[in-house]
Amino acid sequence: CRKFLDRKPLTATLEDLNQGALEGQVLGMYTNLRTLAGFSLLPWIDFHSIRDDDAQKGSDINDGAEIVATFDRYQYSKDDWAPNTYWNDHYTMINLANNAVAAADSLKVSDAASLRNVGEACFFRAYTYFELVKNYGDVPLINFPIRNPNDGIRDRSPAARIYEFIDSNLQVAAALLPPSSASYGAGFQGRLTRGAANALWAQTHLFRRNWAQVVSLCNLVTADGYSLMPEFSDVWRESGENGPESIFEMQAYVGPGAATNSALDNGSDWGTMQQVRRNGAPVEWNLGWGWNVPTDKLETEWPANDPRKQKTILYSGQSDGGPQFGGFGATLPPYTNPSGTGGLAQRFWNKKLYTGNDPAIRQSTGFVNNAGNARWINHRILRYADVLLMLAEAQNELGNGPAAAAALEQVRKRASGGLDPATRTVVPYIAFQNQEQMRQAIKEERRWELAMEGYRFYDLVRWGDAQQVLGPLGYTSRARFYPIPQKAIDLSGGVLTQNPEW
Amino acid sequence: QNRTLTGQVISGTGQNLSGASVRLKNNPSVGTSTDSLGNFSLTIPQSATLVVSYVGYGNQELTVRPDQTQVIVTLQAEGAQLNEVVVIGYGTANKRDLTGSIVKISGRDVADRPNSNPLASLQGKVAGLSVVNSGTPGQAPDIRIRGTVSIGAVQPLYVVDGIFQDNIDYLNPNDIESIEVLKDPSSLAIFGVRGAPGVIAVTTKRAKAGTVVVNFNASYGFKKLVDKIKLANAQQFAELFKEERANNGETADYDYGPFTGNTDWIDAVTRTGRFSNNNLSVSGSSERNRFNMGIGYLYDEGLIKHEKLDRININFSDEFKVSKAIRVGVNFNTSRQNLPFGAGWVLDAARKVMPQVSAGTNRQFVRNPYGSDSMFMDLYSLLDISLQNSGVINPLLELENTWNKFKGVEYRNVGSAFAELTFLKNFNFRSTLYGDVSNVNRRTYTPLYYAYNPRTEKAELYSQNTRFTEDDQTYRKWQQDHVLTYRKDFGDHAITATGGFTTYYFGNFNRGGTVSGTSILPIPNDPRFWYLNSGFQDPSNTSSSSSQSEYSTVSYLARALYNYKNKYFLNGSFRNDASSRIPTNNRNQQFWAVGAAWDLTKEEFMKGQDILDFLKIKGSIGVLGNQTASTLEGTALNYPFYPNLRTGQNAVFGNNVYTAADPAYIPNPNLRWETVHAKEIGVELNALRNKLHFEANYFNRTTKDLMTYVSRAALGLRDELINGGSIRNWGTEFMANYAQPLSRDLTLNLSGNLTFLRNKVLELSEELPTGVLIRGFQNNGSAEARTLPGYPIGSFFGYEVEGIYQSYADILRSPSAAAIGAYRPGDFKFRDVNGDGIISPDDRTVIGNPTPDFTYGASANLTYKGLSLLVDVQGVYGNEIFRTWGSLESPFQRVNYAADKINRWNGAGSSNWVPLVSQADRFNYNGSTFNIEDGSYFRIRNLQLGYQFARDLTQRFRISNLRIYANVQNLKTWKNNQGYTAEYGGDATAFGFDNAGGALPMVTTFGLNVTF
Repeated sequence: CRKFLDRKPLTATLEDLNQGALEGQVLGMYTNLRTLAGFSLLPWIDFHSIRDDDAQKGSDINDGAEIVATFDRYQYSKDDWAPNTYWNDHYTMINLANNAVAAADSLKVSDAASLRNVGEACFFRAYTYFELVKNYGDVPLINFPIRNPNDGIRDRSPAARIYEFIDSNLQVAAALLPPSSASYGAGFQGRLTRGAANALWAQTHLFRRNWAQVVSLCNLVTADGYSLMPEFSDVWRESGENGPESIFEMQAYVGPGAATNSALDNGSDWGTMQQVRRNGAPVEWNLGWGWNVPTDKLETEWPANDPRKQKTILYSGQSDGGPQFGGFGATLPPYTNPSGTGGLAQRFWNKKLYTGNDPAIRQSTGFVNNAGNARWINHRILRYADVLLMLAEAQNELGNGPAAAAALEQVRKRASGGLDPATRTVVPYIAFQNQEQMRQAIKEERRWELAMEGYRFYDLVRWGDAQQVLGPLGYTSRARFYPIPQKAIDLSGGVLTQNPEW
Repeated sequence: QNRTLTGQVISGTGQNLSGASVRLKNNPSVGTSTDSLGNFSLTIPQSATLVVSYVGYGNQELTVRPDQTQVIVTLQAEGAQLNEVVVIGYGTANKRDLTGSIVKISGRDVADRPNSNPLASLQGKVAGLSVVNSGTPGQAPDIRIRGTVSIGAVQPLYVVDGIFQDNIDYLNPNDIESIEVLKDPSSLAIFGVRGAPGVIAVTTKRAKAGTVVVNFNASYGFKKLVDKIKLANAQQFAELFKEERANNGETADYDYGPFTGNTDWIDAVTRTGRFSNNNLSVSGSSERNRFNMGIGYLYDEGLIKHEKLDRININFSDEFKVSKAIRVGVNFNTSRQNLPFGAGWVLDAARKVMPQVSAGTNRQFVRNPYGSDSMFMDLYSLLDISLQNSGVINPLLELENTWNKFKGVEYRNVGSAFAELTFLKNFNFRSTLYGDVSNVNRRTYTPLYYAYNPRTEKAELYSQNTRFTEDDQTYRKWQQDHVLTYRKDFGDHAITATGGFTTYYFGNFNRGGTVSGTSILPIPNDPRFWYLNSGFQDPSNTSSSSSQSEYSTVSYLARALYNYKNKYFLNGSFRNDASSRIPTNNRNQQFWAVGAAWDLTKEEFMKGQDILDFLKIKGSIGVLGNQTASTLEGTALNYPFYPNLRTGQNAVFGNNVYTAADPAYIPNPNLRWETVHAKEIGVELNALRNKLHFEANYFNRTTKDLMTYVSRAALGLRDELINGGSIRNWGTEFMANYAQPLSRDLTLNLSGNLTFLRNKVLELSEELPTGVLIRGFQNNGSAEARTLPGYPIGSFFGYEVEGIYQSYADILRSPSAAAIGAYRPGDFKFRDVNGDGIISPDDRTVIGNPTPDFTYGASANLTYKGLSLLVDVQGVYGNEIFRTWGSLESPFQRVNYAADKINRWNGAGSSNWVPLVSQADRFNYNGSTFNIEDGSYFRIRNLQLGYQFARDLTQRFRISNLRIYANVQNLKTWKNNQGYTAEYGGDATAFGFDNAGGALPMVTTFGLNVTF
């Protein structure tokens, strides 16, 4: 009878994986980074990009109308799919990281591979908490594996405490992660490195105005050998994935023929959601959902002689500019009206994702016409240009004007097409005159260089410029933080309290 | 001189009584017994008095006049419900000896109803049995016995001729001899861990003693859609959409361009369905052998175009008496079903399409997608892509192009063999081996096809890749029962003791694969090539998968039925179940019940009275088990205490893919099966010379250790299965049956049942963060069912609508609702339920209960000579329905407006109930009393007119029995909600949601029963 009754699952469980379990759990975090909506889908775009003045919901007037009010107009909803998912997914990642760290502790791992796994888990924990502290301020601090769900019911901890936790995790991550993803062996392109930990750490200090730490961390990143891609638009091409400028990317891969075989599709809707939406245009323009598009304001205020403008904004009714501007030689159907009747519903599109219209990839994957997805695109989460601009900003705030100008110039030089200051007419060299002049220049540079990438809302908030810039759109001070989802409060039985301004 | 009298003996409910004794009163040695159809033939003197008797029906004397050559004798049940033999677990018993509640339904009540699933015919027939039907051919109804006992599995256990089953979808209704519904602890404890949700025991037909009988049944009929939902027409859509755009600042007219139709999309996708069921059986018996076989063919079309089920059944049983002491037998039931194309989505898709889109086709000259030639093709239209692109499709485009590309075949092979040894006079030992080795194969081909784009006036290749997918599911159920029974009467004492050992194994093995064709070499649109390896598959684009699970149980059982002078009855039963699905420390669980009954009419003090012919009071108490383990969505968890990994979790680095380990849920090493602690007390009585039979029962069932799969997503946790919480179901059942012969030829039989049921969640574990289970649907879960202590299971939860904000002044006067979101005049005014001066999520409250206060059914059967008229009615009262369509759709999709939007708010004073039209006003997309509708209904379930031809007429054609009938099912339903029907099933914690589907047809059938 005992034998008749002893039946284990006919598929592997964590127990069966033994030695592989820690590695498997860490790989699970990369998986979730790609598949969870809170990290790479609409909710991420809603929180990071649509909220600023340069990006808007996009798509068409009939699609996702509530996102306009919720994120473009700061009427934050306490109970809607996007914000709820954002919250839940981030805590999912935190628990996975907590469990992996705890598993490593209990196994007392000491081999190099397992220690790297610990570094990766710590990175993900820091990355996730940094997202939460940016968006909500005080949040519950869960830094232990939850054995009994009641353990997970915690009130918010002060933001300062969250930052302390981020620091401790990044310290571990920077120490344990390898200098390059090649250290993991062949076939691990884009896997976490200490450069990623240091770049993220620099960002967290930037938000706290710890300028000296920003400088030293940025220098550590530079010392690891990162460099700008020579051509700006190449950053966004398929060939630019995991390039010299890339510090950390969400990795997506869609194999040949995946459109008809989901097993070959290890992609993400990150790309799909930001492609040109067809509406009334011919069927070959069915590239994706058309979210996160440039506003008129961005288009108007961006000087035409900055080459990055043509490489960031894709215009309806115009040529995509061909290879030299990151295009493929296609001409977009015209903008018709906000419903897209007879044509496209948006004037502008986010060209940084335009690799989604690469005909060769579409042909190979089969995502053509009605199967219009673009699931193969990596989300560039950390890139070296941001490190240089952080360095410039921190040096300037520390009073090191020339150092700030030098860092800024690296970014501007690449933007100009790699020309020396003397020989170029666009994106000219900006010499340091005074701290305020340099501060403004860096702010502008961040706006153009990082446009549509999800930095600007947080930049405006940390610079104290949000009220002035976003006020006309409905921003008020309390909108710097999002309210805690009602469902999370409900589930905590009231232990978790609402953000006091909401 | 003597002559021959022929006749038939039937019961007051119209059943043929086979084996009834017919004897001459003054010469009892002259007599016969009726055949399987109740017919007899007897040589009698010119005039005679007959005594007709049948177990449980008492005697009836009948004087035959010299001119009568044929008689029909109607025997009234003398507590038929008392003396009939009923199926109990691992044996049968006289109902009189039992202390619980078992209701027996004759196979005849199932056979001539137009339902391909026999369970659907039980609706309204049994007190305490809730049957919520769906309109999909063959689909099992949502069945619950005495309430919702769990938040996991609530469907009963089916026991078909002894084998444990999860459904009886494979049975032909004509093969069913009887169905017993077991409801009380005393009957259910013997089923141990499977007993808590109740048991429906099905006995299939066996040969009866007597001659060879050939029986043919046929019915044919058609189905019609009634109670269609109401939607905006083209002109109303245009008006409402224009207003919606204006509400959101877009004043330009929407350019509908070529979309100028006015289509009723519900009509476009539905039709008149046909139904047919035919069955031929042969049975015969001799002294040593009893043999029965039957073949059936059933054909059942749904209301949705092309939705069709057909099924062939073959059953066979044989029992052979080896010697006086030994009997062996086999039983085999096999069926092949062609499964319906899954069209469950069609009604919902149809109501979403705006009426401007034409349902017709457009002739286009296109290239043959499979070749290089060109041809004219009639193409269905695309929707207006600028308006309807996400979540809305042209249902005809997909349905018409794909319905015949699906091949779903289910084979069921259920068989058993037994050997029975009778020894030492009082002992009987029976061993039975059962097997169910069945297979469901689903093959789907995706063709290449075009759609017509009215905007560009061009054809577009809508489906651009050929693909073939196969899913093959094999399951194996093995069961063995070894049961020893001891029966003995010692003077006034009678005992039946049973002991047994049984094991059960269930294995489920699924394999699937997908292959694609290439654009150069598509997989042809020819079923010859609809296989994984057809020579057309693209080798770089194939995939395969599998899923598999097993479980087993080992059980010991014991039962004793005892009575003293047939006056005092005691029943006791016990079962120990060891299950492979439970951690070793809790692996064995015990279940038991004891019951007692007292027949008062056997007491001296009752002797003098003649009002009550029979009066029994009874009671039982016991502990039953529920082997439930399911996810929050109701999917069964096969290994509840092992940390299974989520499938398809892959990490990507560059172009390399690695399998990640991500547990799907949190395992719990301390799990145990949930238990139901049940009590019942009841009374059964016969009065008015046994013409009235009445039963009443009070029951109380408390479920403990609820096995709860809880979602903790807001904590970022995987879900976990825990034991936490309890639920109580209690209520009272009444049933009555009254038979009145109005004259010699005219009989009236009335029966009815009424069930009051209450359900309350007593507690949910503290481990649940708030002790609440939340299930949400539609648009981010705004249609919420909550299972929370103090309220009925699955209570609807949301805001109470007080009205509509008529103006900004109105908004200013009212409590602020800013905590919910932005709002304006025309939006809902929610009530400040907690009175804190603001309207916030804290004002959400329980706004509806999906469980009816009471359910009822009644039937009247009037028989005049061969003619019979039957009316069945049934209904429910006091529940609510949560309507999710027409209000809570995702804002990502533009759907046609429900007709009630015509009365929307569009300026102060215009409406105080229907808000303004605007998908951007997310405020109105919170679940509220606006979505709650009264679920009470009353239905004429069946109206049947039958005629049984006189025997002397039919015998000329060597037909011993001929009956024809016409039946209308669901003739009329009186209901109060907007949906197609008032019946919406679901799972334990989420039911009663109207998602714009579930249309239940009116079915008219004509049938014939012939016996040779």
